[in-house]
Amino acid sequence: MQEKHLSNAPEVIELTLPVNSAYVSSARLTASSISNRMGFDIDDIEDIKAAVSEACIFTISQCLKAGEINFHLEFFISKEGILINLTSNTNDNVVNTVDEDELGMKMIQTLMDEVEIKTENGKFKISMKKNK
Amino acid sequence: MDFQLKPEYNSEKNCWEISVKGEIDIYNSSNIKDYLSNIIQERPCDVYIDCTELEYIDSTGLGALVAIVKKVKHYGGNMYILNTKPNVEKVFKITNLDKVFVMK
Repeated sequence: MQEKHLSNAPEVIELTLPVNSAYVSSARLTASSISNRMGFDIDDIEDIKAAVSEACIFTISQCLKAGEINFHLEFFISKEGILINLTSNTNDNVVNTVDEDELGMKMIQTLMDEVEIKTENGKFKISMKKNK
Repeated sequence: MDFQLKPEYNSEKNCWEISVKGEIDIYNSSNIKDYLSNIIQERPCDVYIDCTELEYIDSTGLGALVAIVKKVKHYGGNMYILNTKPNVEKVFKITNLDKVFVMK
């Protein structure tokens, strides 16, 4: 079987989760499986898992404030590395509520190579990138 | 992954020896905090947490342990974190909590 993977165009895996802490482990396991398949080493896989988990925790807290019932994860797989987006609707300017000293945020910033949090058109997005 | 917590009171050393197994995350950290808080209130003394089989801890789990160490220190005790795996040790270091607990 001929498979086409890790081409120039990123492959995308999407996941929609309910705003329920019971399913954060599902996001973590998905991140682990994808980054393992991409050939990241064990330390990087642990970093990605932990960052996804912390991003989910932050997203869930924002969703609870906004009364949202779901949030979305996208994993963009490319030769250069992995880009992970978490998005949901919001009625708040999330960027104003980000505390860089908060444990989870400190972990995300340290574990990933690039991190961006923004609010746009009633949606907020956390983007995190880990390079290979 | 399931989580197991096994607390044993060591009467000779007057301390709690608690082994944890699995993952501490947002789903169970609140229950773990309440449980540990109760046993420490029942018998205030030093606490040793054996992390040999702890696979993962997130920021809410760290927050739960910080709440417990505050309680232990309030009673004049110390809290020891033992045998952490590299990924668990890393999150303690990133967050500077390796300076709050006695890591062995």
